[in-house]
Amino acid sequence: MFTPVPLIKGLLITLKHLFMKPVTLQYPDEKVAPFPRFRGLHALNVSHNRSKCVACYLCPTVCPAKCITVEAAEDDKHDKYASKYEIDLLRCIFCGYCVDACPVDALKMTSAYELASYKRDDFVFTQERLLDKR
Amino acid sequence: MVNLTIDDKQVSVPKDATIFDAAKAAGIRIPILCHDKKLHPFGGCRMCLVEVEQMKGRQIPACTTPVTEGMIVRTQTDDIIKARRMVLELLLLKHPIDCPVCDAAGDCDLQNLTYEYKVNSNRFQDEKFSHSIDYENPLIERDMNRCIHCGKCARICDEIVSFGAYTFISRGIEAKMGTQFDGPLNCEFCGSCVSVCPVGALISRPFKFKARWWALDKVKTVCSYCSTGCNLTLGVKDNKVLTTIYDENQGWHNGQLCVRGRFGYQIASSDKRLTTPLIRKNGKLEAASWDEALTLVAQNLKKAGAAAAGLVTPRLTNEELYLFKKLFKDALGSDSIDHSAGYAHSALTAGAAESLGYPASSATIADIQKADLLLVVKSDAYETHPVIGFEINLGVKRKDVDLRIVSDKKGKLTKLPKAVTYLHKPGCEVSLLNALAKTIIDENLVDAAFTGGVAGLDLLKKGLEGYTPEKVADACGIKADAIKTLARDYAKAGKAVILLPIGLGYPGHGKELAQAVINLSLLTGKIGKEGCGVLIMAEKNNSQGAVDLGLYPTAGGKDAGAIIDGCAAGTVKALYLAGENPLVSYPNQQKIAAALAKVEFLVVQDLFLTETAAKAHVVLPACSFAEKDGTYTSVERRVQRVNRAIKPMGLAKSDFDILNALYTALTGNAAYANLAEAFTAITAAVPAYKGLTLQGLGENGVVVHTPSKPKFVAVAGAAPRAEEGKFALLTGSALYHCGTMSLHGEGPMHVCPEGYLELGREDAKALKLEGDELLTVTSATGSVKLKAKIGLRMPQGVVFAPYHFAAQPINSVTAGDAVTLVTISR
Repeated sequence: MFTPVPLIKGLLITLKHLFMKPVTLQYPDEKVAPFPRFRGLHALNVSHNRSKCVACYLCPTVCPAKCITVEAAEDDKHDKYASKYEIDLLRCIFCGYCVDACPVDALKMTSAYELASYKRDDFVFTQERLLDKR
Repeated sequence: MVNLTIDDKQVSVPKDATIFDAAKAAGIRIPILCHDKKLHPFGGCRMCLVEVEQMKGRQIPACTTPVTEGMIVRTQTDDIIKARRMVLELLLLKHPIDCPVCDAAGDCDLQNLTYEYKVNSNRFQDEKFSHSIDYENPLIERDMNRCIHCGKCARICDEIVSFGAYTFISRGIEAKMGTQFDGPLNCEFCGSCVSVCPVGALISRPFKFKARWWALDKVKTVCSYCSTGCNLTLGVKDNKVLTTIYDENQGWHNGQLCVRGRFGYQIASSDKRLTTPLIRKNGKLEAASWDEALTLVAQNLKKAGAAAAGLVTPRLTNEELYLFKKLFKDALGSDSIDHSAGYAHSALTAGAAESLGYPASSATIADIQKADLLLVVKSDAYETHPVIGFEINLGVKRKDVDLRIVSDKKGKLTKLPKAVTYLHKPGCEVSLLNALAKTIIDENLVDAAFTGGVAGLDLLKKGLEGYTPEKVADACGIKADAIKTLARDYAKAGKAVILLPIGLGYPGHGKELAQAVINLSLLTGKIGKEGCGVLIMAEKNNSQGAVDLGLYPTAGGKDAGAIIDGCAAGTVKALYLAGENPLVSYPNQQKIAAALAKVEFLVVQDLFLTETAAKAHVVLPACSFAEKDGTYTSVERRVQRVNRAIKPMGLAKSDFDILNALYTALTGNAAYANLAEAFTAITAAVPAYKGLTLQGLGENGVVVHTPSKPKFVAVAGAAPRAEEGKFALLTGSALYHCGTMSLHGEGPMHVCPEGYLELGREDAKALKLEGDELLTVTSATGSVKLKAKIGLRMPQGVVFAPYHFAAQPINSVTAGDAVTLVTISR
């Protein structure tokens, strides 16, 4: 036998929600503020106008997605530096192991999460793009 | 044998073993930093401390303590672990913990032990060292701040390499591993010190920052320079050979390598390698496809037929050499094939084959250290085969082997302790050896029991009549008494080995010299026994293989000399050069150049666009040793497997694939389906290799033997050539190079980049030379400009030049004689 009670209950819930604060955000007009330890796009810390990276290869070694390419070279003072440092974000799983592994605090993960792009090439972040220029 | 107990395990070891050795035999690992199994125990690092119940309360180093009967040893008590942790703390106190930028990380004993013993903090505090780092030389970087004073570099350089480049200098906290006057390193650059350094104090500069140790694939293979047959571990990453890796357990030489083996690996991944076939069009070599190139080669070879000839380098694998022979014999019907200019291996192919009944050495490398006396013909044995040279060093220094050198110049070997050098005039080796044989016969030192079964003794006696020591003494410049003493000492020694280096640079070391040497060992019965025999050291990695497989004319075909003449005369219509570079390495460059210019069709199959390849009609890109599988046969007839480490460069194909494709193009069928089939064919055709299987060769290879049918062959010595006012020019091998291939290895080229003319101080004074002036060397054949190198090696009137260099071709003045008479002007 038909009773309107469940229907009314349902409609009441709907009605209640009409007057509540919305849980969705009007992206891109509104944006989520990430948590402090959010793992977004990587950045290379800078010291003395160059990347702090010493090309120790620990991050490509630990990376489970094998998305980091490092090439080391010798500078004028016979020191080691990264002549190439690339992260392929299409492969990256944002686990943050690379940051954990870094022995010289050269790598960090920022709060940037808007990483969409039109071309595949644009997802390969070179050293120049990764440098923390602040 | 001594019985002892280590960590409740019973072991029985020889009485000269140390506790460390005994533990190793029992499978117990004792941590250690200052030990290498090739070196004498040092006891410097104190990591190997153990407790022995009989010496209650004391901690003793396992590496320097000999075992005694009934010893009860504990290696892992709490006290010992505490002591080892303190040792590490003290080492880490001064060690700059720069592992992220240190190339040793991953392969660092200190790092591994620190991790194993969980040394996370340090109770002590001190400043780090601030020694300046030696960046001066191109191969070895010395950062003494990282040094932990294990002394291994100094010991290996002294005990095995016998150079002595390092020693501890200063005292106390200021002590460090120093060089001569604490200056930059200036040595042979064999890199043995780099290989044994437990930390990153000594690193290889060509490999610096190239890759981390853990990212490298380690591929075991065999070195492709000289015929010593050293085993090699290549470090490979991203299809590139980046370095060689030391493994103290590899091969009979325990991982020991020379400068070429350790630093000359760049030939495998060089940018200068040929990556595509080239065809000459309108006078210029242009890139072409394999189909095009192979069709053209097949067409021209077919057209030439029996008038086609082939020269092959003994750097190819056995399978490739065999296929090369098959291609010419079966597909073309030509017997005109040869290797190494024909003369370079005649000591084996003609000399040993006739005198011993097989074309190989009778001794093995292991015999060197077992001998009582070692007779080395030419001090160059060290330069041509440095790792055999290390064996000689070890024999002399550790086993008290009596070293005698018969040479026309001094060298590293002559500087060894107690070594006696008989310095003779150039070109009279055969006469000198005949005089030795004559003395042995005259003084009745002949081993009658042995020579009874050897044919030709009477003929030999007759042939030696004119070679009394007195007569020979004048001609060769050694006193008759010295010759007699040497003959007596050799005959009376219990066990004796004779070493004879041969090769393209040694035209005098041919059939006659080998037979004179073999006569000597046959007369005294010093052959076919342990620690006895003759070791004829051929030049290239698979020289012995090429000789065993018969890569020379056997049915009346042209040999290398006749092939070159045939090219000039037009009787050779097509010439196929596989890896040979005759324009640089064969004597009489002008003649070779004229012959190559005349031949109708010239194919060169090589790794690089060599001087010869640049003249070819078709150039086929081949593969280096790192890109192929197969087998090499070393100087002691050890058949060893070569393993592929990387993919071929560009479109390059292995020599086996190229030759097989050509065979298919010529006959319609492939010669062999694969390498294994070719190897099986070799084992069926070559008696010495009978019963071998590829799998059976294992990691260390198999030494093959054939029964000997010895016979005496009398040989005549040539009179030494001399002319007033002219110098005797000797050619040969420089320590840093082997053939012309090492010129493409960056390591050897960093140390020895160009040709030179070595002359003694007296001659330099007479010519008023001061340093490295450019000299013009002129002979009847031609002339060449070379830089002077003044040293202590050369006697007056004798000069030496290495033959490897294309830019300073010494072969433009030589004509294939043992000694070339030259004039020198500025």
